Amino acid sequence: MPKLEVKNLNINFGGIRALNGVSFVVEGNQLFGLIGPNGAGKTTILNIINGVYHPSSGNIFLDDKDIVGLKPYQIANIGVGRTFQNIELFKNITVIDNLLLGRHRFIKAGILSGSFYLGKCLKEEMVNRDHIEEIIEFLEIEVYRKKIVRTLPYGIQKRVELGRALSMDPKILLLDEPCSGMNTEETEDMARFILDIKEEMGISIMMIEHNMEVVMDIADQICVINFGTKIAEGNPKEIQSDPKVIRAYLGED
Amino acid sequence: MAALTLPILFAHRVKELGEGVALREKKKGLWRRISWDEYDTHVRNFSLGLKSFGLRKGDRVSILGDNCPEWLYADLATQSAGGISVGVYPTNSYVQVKYILDHSQSRFVIVKDQEQADKILLIKDQLPFLEKMIVIDMKGLRKYDDPLLTSFHEVEEMGRRIHEGNPTLFQEMIDNTKSDDVAIIVYTSGTTGPPKGAMLSHQNITSVLDSFFEVIPISRWDSLVSVLPLCHVAERLFSLFIPMKSGCTINFAESIDTLQADMTEISPTIFLTVPRILEKIHSAITIKMQDAHPVKRWAYDQFLPLGQRVAERRLSKQDVSLFLRLAYFFAYLLVFRPLRNRLGLLQVRECVSGAAPLSKDIMKFFHSIGLMVKEAYGSTECTGVFSMPVGNDIEIGTTGKPIPGWEYKIASDGEILIKGPAVFAGYFRDEEATKNAKRDGWLYTGDIGEFDDQGNLKITDRKKEILITASGKNIAPSEIENRLKFSPFIKEAIVIGDRRPYLAALIQIDLDNVADWAQREGIPFTTFKSLSKDPEVYKLIQGEVEKANKEMSRIESIKKFVLLEKELDRDDDELTATMKVRREMIEKKYGDLIERLYK
Repeated sequence: MPKLEVKNLNINFGGIRALNGVSFVVEGNQLFGLIGPNGAGKTTILNIINGVYHPSSGNIFLDDKDIVGLKPYQIANIGVGRTFQNIELFKNITVIDNLLLGRHRFIKAGILSGSFYLGKCLKEEMVNRDHIEEIIEFLEIEVYRKKIVRTLPYGIQKRVELGRALSMDPKILLLDEPCSGMNTEETEDMARFILDIKEEMGISIMMIEHNMEVVMDIADQICVINFGTKIAEGNPKEIQSDPKVIRAYLGED
Repeated sequence: MAALTLPILFAHRVKELGEGVALREKKKGLWRRISWDEYDTHVRNFSLGLKSFGLRKGDRVSILGDNCPEWLYADLATQSAGGISVGVYPTNSYVQVKYILDHSQSRFVIVKDQEQADKILLIKDQLPFLEKMIVIDMKGLRKYDDPLLTSFHEVEEMGRRIHEGNPTLFQEMIDNTKSDDVAIIVYTSGTTGPPKGAMLSHQNITSVLDSFFEVIPISRWDSLVSVLPLCHVAERLFSLFIPMKSGCTINFAESIDTLQADMTEISPTIFLTVPRILEKIHSAITIKMQDAHPVKRWAYDQFLPLGQRVAERRLSKQDVSLFLRLAYFFAYLLVFRPLRNRLGLLQVRECVSGAAPLSKDIMKFFHSIGLMVKEAYGSTECTGVFSMPVGNDIEIGTTGKPIPGWEYKIASDGEILIKGPAVFAGYFRDEEATKNAKRDGWLYTGDIGEFDDQGNLKITDRKKEILITASGKNIAPSEIENRLKFSPFIKEAIVIGDRRPYLAALIQIDLDNVADWAQREGIPFTTFKSLSKDPEVYKLIQGEVEKANKEMSRIESIKKFVLLEKELDRDDDELTATMKVRREMIEKKYGDLIERLYK
């Protein structure tokens, strides 16, 4: 079971200390919620795990291997998938093509065989297409399969982005506000998909989410960040009754 | 032939067609073929699996879920093992599911997916007879550790191992089925009271099949898309039993959302439908044409009246002049053919509508685009079909002549009585209802009708629903309601007027189409309720009602109407599972509203 361990993470942007000694462990097959007020540093943590930023100090271990200093593509190659707060899909190509792009790390055919669609490439494409079709079925987006992403409703685009992250066969998924901007029904669907990903595919999930109802409902473990510092960690029940968390969210008085 | 049962009939077809395509299922974006041999293997394994769970002859097995090949496997497997299969509407609430499982005393239930499984888990403690729930699609359920639950695949695996050890057992099981055994129980959705379980024997079904093929011969080259709920007798007839006799191919769409596209890809030759779907297609075309490219719209507006003229002449058996025929040919090439292609109805050669009366206007519309919709009449109690037009001998407003094999007469009060080998075996665990429906071998259909001079059956209405106005005139509400529903803006209409001085109606607007209209007209609205209350919308509907009134006699015209402020819903007991209006319930519920119509 893949396990993600973040140890004493610090990062400075100019004179600002954005993260201050944050540590936590995402156990194998766990749904780990990361919450905190705006600007607390949640997305920064994802960006560091992802290799977009490099921490000033601290370590990140994926299955006991330190991944700090690796390039984003290398980190993707060892199985860290991700979705973004503002959808980052290729808007002018179809859903299928977006998902196939997620399979990039499995596609080995070169330019020559790719251009002429030769034997090996054809076989490879079939295997990968088969794989993404499973994801399409899983996320119930059959009807949008051949649609250009730009033309799809927001909630569906979010689902497609999740699909792209899944298509790379991740060991762990980093989801940045998967339910933002969604109506109640779309949120419920998304929550169900996230739970199914954990349970059916055995993928660990780390999720930033502002919709407290969703987080409290589906997360196994929650970590609360405020001003770059971890202020609490525990299961949803513990977090809900933690005075420090209440103070961070409702303000001091 | 007397000993013929459905599993034996199926075995004949498997032997004949073997590697040929029996079913197609769209999965992962591709149509996957399932041959008759594979079909047979699934049925055999699942049947042996059920047997090893202790299924005995005559035990009931319920099937709950959307149409899929496994639905058919489970149904036939149950019958092969001597059991009786009971279909349950996937849209039923858990309370309704509980009623049917409890009443049928089902020992096993096969469910499609998590959605249906959750219903069963909620009520399992109230079902003393239930022993196993077998799940087709385990997605989201693998973590459930309820001992009640088994996967479809596991049961098939068990069956496969049994077959390896004892390869003749399945054949013995089939040989043990008897033609007068009950094969299936169909719970009728009933517009009044709780559903009743009509028992249909193997012989009921095989005899109706024989007569059906004399009217509509279907070959192995025909294909159908299985869309309507399989628990309904008509869909079961078309998707399971007719293929067993003809060898035609059944297709399963990927999902409800992709149905339209999947239909276009398959382009079926046989189309079984209900008025509601035809109404929906018609209003979708009408509305979409307003947004179409001006050239297309112009062509449509020019050619549709032409199509209607040709259709009317053909329906009234008049000659169509050469000029008209030529013009129609062009209209067909330019407009009707592409339109039908888009709908996935290009290749359809037999289009049968049933379950409820179809409005004449809708029928004429489809005839204009060259789709010869015909209306059939039947009920669960007569195994699906009683009368149906032969070929293109369609007399509008009638349901054609009775198919061979039926004896029939009209009772003094106008009720249609029928007799024959396909009259059902009785209601399960309901002696009294059986005695009411079946007297001296005659089935009392509860429908009022008459035969015209050519012998075509014309259904007036349900016996219970005939209105008698205060002036003593008998009126069949369904015909007037259908006239109203022809308007794309009216989704549901309930005509009132029993022992009243004039007719009035409760009308439910079609949300999509009226919302679309309101947007064009710049009328602000938020919800269904605000739309229904808008005076402009009222005026729109008033215009539609007046249009319908013009075509009816004075006594049949609607004097007053009111718009319902909420959509009728199954969960509120206002509609049946087949989306028929439960008049009694509605008249009770909206009593105050109705009283106001007569003040």
